[in-house]
Amino acid sequence: MRATSEVVLPPPRIGPRRRIAVDLAAATHLLGALTAFLGLAALVPSAVALWYGEPVWPFLLAGGITSGCGLALARATAGAGARVGAREGFLVVAATWLLAACFGAVPYLLAGGEQFADPVDALFEGMSGFTTTGATVVTDFEALPRSLAIWRQLTQWLGGLGIIVLALAVLPRLRVGGRQLFEAELPGPEVDQLGIRIRQAVQRFWVLYVGLTVAEASILATLGWTGVDEKMTPFKAVAHALTTVSTGGFSTEARSIGAFAPATQWVVVVFMVLAGTNLALLYYAFVRGRLRPLLRDEETRLYVALLGLASAVLLVELLTSEIEGSDAPLRNGVFQAVAIMTGTGYATVDFAAWPTLALMTLVLCMFVGGSAGSTTGSVKVVRHLVLGRVLRRELTQTLRPEVVMPIRLSGAVVDEKTLRAIVAFILLYLGLFVVGAGVIAVDASLQGPALLPIDAISAAAATLGNVGPAAGPAGPMDSYEPFSDLSTLVMVALMWLGRLEVLPIVVLFTRSYWRP
Amino acid sequence: MKVFIIGAGQVGSTVVEALHADHDITVLDMEPARLSALAYKYDVATFEGDGTSRRDLSQAGIANADLVIACTSRDEANLVAGMFGRREAPHAKTIVRTSELEYVELWREGQLDVDFVVCPELETAHAISRAIGVPAARQTDVFAEGQVQIVEFDVEEGAPKSVVGVPLRDADLPRDSKVMAIIHGDELTLPGGDSVIEPGSRIVVIGSPRAAKEWGALLAPGGASVQDVVIFGAGRVGTAIARVLSGQGISIRMIEASRERARAAAEQFPKVRVYNAVGFDPDFLERERIGLAQAAIFAMRDDTKNLYGASLAKVHGVPFTIAVAHEAVSIAAFDQAGIDVAVNPRAVTAEEIVRFAHDPRTQQVAMLEGNRYEVLDVTTRETSRYIGTKFRDMPVHGALIGAIVRNGSAIFPHGDDVLQAGDRVIVFTEASNAPWVIEAL
Repeated sequence: MRATSEVVLPPPRIGPRRRIAVDLAAATHLLGALTAFLGLAALVPSAVALWYGEPVWPFLLAGGITSGCGLALARATAGAGARVGAREGFLVVAATWLLAACFGAVPYLLAGGEQFADPVDALFEGMSGFTTTGATVVTDFEALPRSLAIWRQLTQWLGGLGIIVLALAVLPRLRVGGRQLFEAELPGPEVDQLGIRIRQAVQRFWVLYVGLTVAEASILATLGWTGVDEKMTPFKAVAHALTTVSTGGFSTEARSIGAFAPATQWVVVVFMVLAGTNLALLYYAFVRGRLRPLLRDEETRLYVALLGLASAVLLVELLTSEIEGSDAPLRNGVFQAVAIMTGTGYATVDFAAWPTLALMTLVLCMFVGGSAGSTTGSVKVVRHLVLGRVLRRELTQTLRPEVVMPIRLSGAVVDEKTLRAIVAFILLYLGLFVVGAGVIAVDASLQGPALLPIDAISAAAATLGNVGPAAGPAGPMDSYEPFSDLSTLVMVALMWLGRLEVLPIVVLFTRSYWRP
Repeated sequence: MKVFIIGAGQVGSTVVEALHADHDITVLDMEPARLSALAYKYDVATFEGDGTSRRDLSQAGIANADLVIACTSRDEANLVAGMFGRREAPHAKTIVRTSELEYVELWREGQLDVDFVVCPELETAHAISRAIGVPAARQTDVFAEGQVQIVEFDVEEGAPKSVVGVPLRDADLPRDSKVMAIIHGDELTLPGGDSVIEPGSRIVVIGSPRAAKEWGALLAPGGASVQDVVIFGAGRVGTAIARVLSGQGISIRMIEASRERARAAAEQFPKVRVYNAVGFDPDFLERERIGLAQAAIFAMRDDTKNLYGASLAKVHGVPFTIAVAHEAVSIAAFDQAGIDVAVNPRAVTAEEIVRFAHDPRTQQVAMLEGNRYEVLDVTTRETSRYIGTKFRDMPVHGALIGAIVRNGSAIFPHGDDVLQAGDRVIVFTEASNAPWVIEAL
């Protein structure tokens, strides 16, 4: 039947076949906006450079390039609209962190002199900064301008809580759903719902984060001012507060925290332990005065227990053998256990020269990490806890196949999907570690430097876990400078994967991610 | 008294059966078939209508009621009916049946504006918990805030000679207890000093909770207190039982065939070991040593499964089995099969409801032997002709006083004790005598 009046329908607009399911334009738009915002970070070292009369242009140029590129990207895709869903979220997070590392590298190239002549080394330092790893290629700390030194510390502080989270907190204009970006960037598995809006959670975290940083800087500066620690200047107090609270580990000193007085070292230990604790629980404890959730949290308890265990093993080793650090076994044992397990990577002694038992304890600590929802890297205590319970369940069910055992965490049931994600994460993490260690070891045997197997293993573990210093040539008093460009790039990738907790990046390499 | 019942299901019918002789009952239900079945059996007014419709309720005459009982199988309908009952008949007492423990808790906190909330699952769980407290007992009930316990026992061959086969006045009975009835076949005796308990008969004992336990130990030697229980079925009844028993520190294992329900139960009770299995699999029962449990409780939805499961548990060596009988007729079948205790959720629910229907002086009522006998808790009046009478001189008129509660504490009277005005008296009587007994006291 035809209608009596002739209605002319437009021809159907099918359009070309869509080959990918990811909205690249929208992702690029958001990426551009975030990068443009990130460029503002260069203002801080510029101010420091002005204050100390050092050249300002490297930072202004780096910031200008970054913000310029960001604005250009955003402008080019201006019509894309904000259709950033879960898929685009992964891409945005992965790309933002990669670009951030490149941005971080530019000032090293421009103002770093001889030490950063190789762009790969500069990229390593940039990635090590934003991912709060703390592994460095710097060999001569005296040669670094103060503005560049503060830039190193600042990148770690910004990267600690997450640059995207920061952008979301300050830029309400970026109306992204938020949760998927937040989950991809904030360390640790999302076990319990926060029960509050993301923006509110982010603001709480930043209040606490800034508060802890200010507190530590004040205490350290006071120690210096009162003469308890004569080497602690206000500049160094701020610089180390920035990298303690973020569990980063960059130092302005060649001997790391070993350059400072014992009182300073104990203060740093306390703040490293706090930085490795779940920030949400710390918020309740410090801001709301409710200690109970923190004390009752099973992860926190295990975290403290593991710190104690690792410290005790190191203490025994330091007491029984004549090695570096045996002069003050308790302080050095506790400091090193805490610094490595929380992934900070500070040192008071050159633990690279320690015997096997002590060194292996530290390597194992690199796989522990801090609590979920802290700024630490690595596997994290909660995943170990859950994995242990999954294994216990498997053992029970081998004997009693009918038993139903929900896995609980501090009393709350963890759903099976989260359990699978945790097991998958640990497998991927270990897989990447094995591959990374293998490539570093083989590459070192071909191009140098001369590495023991434990050196390659610890270098892979220290970069993937965002710890920092490792054994052998990459020890706390040495640097990653001897490694070849290939090994350095592999470690850059490991740091990147480790900071974003593997899955958001690995998922980009699957077919189903890109296909409609 | 005018009683208005919404819902003519099993709970409703049981309540009607218990109350029809002495009260003026109206039953409202949506199903004409159920109403006519009730109307043929008892002299009650019936009304076909919707319990959640205010118009239907007022047409059926809810405004004249003294007691409104909402006992359909749907919680929401009962709550709505209870709410309308409050509005239409402000002076009536309202009772609401629910399956949701949350509503019971809300009512206890005073958040639900009704006089009484009764939950069949919870009542069943309490009945089972009482039975576990005295493992040899068939049925138990507590009165006077738990100070007085009534227990029904089967007397087996080989029961101790100090109690069985000798006149009661010479028998060595546990302190603070009294034999209230001896049932032999269909014949019930209210015992005097020269009555004798024979093996094979059934007795009803009243006493302090401690005496009840001593009686249990006497009649079932070796029956220590139950610490280890297996519950079959993790539905509403099963989880209510688990909740009540785990509150008493009893270690519990649960077996549930449905994966979802097993998971939900495991999540709800961290200390209970839950199996997702069919409870009839001999390999499973053997592997998990179910036979070593001190007691097994069958709370599945299907009476036939409960019956079979309980028999199987006996085969595997579980000494004490308790089964939920959803149908009243199943109780006899369970009894035949040798299951130690059968609990009918509707009967225990109806029992709770019925105590509201009695005289205001009557505090609690238990029904024994399928409603043939009742235990009443009556406060004596000043004008009662038995005030000042010694118990030795009380006439035996088909009723027996088992205990009195005076100034808040329980006394198990001897022949020389005297009844005083204001005493709460716990009386055992035939159901048909109940109004007369209440009148006389």
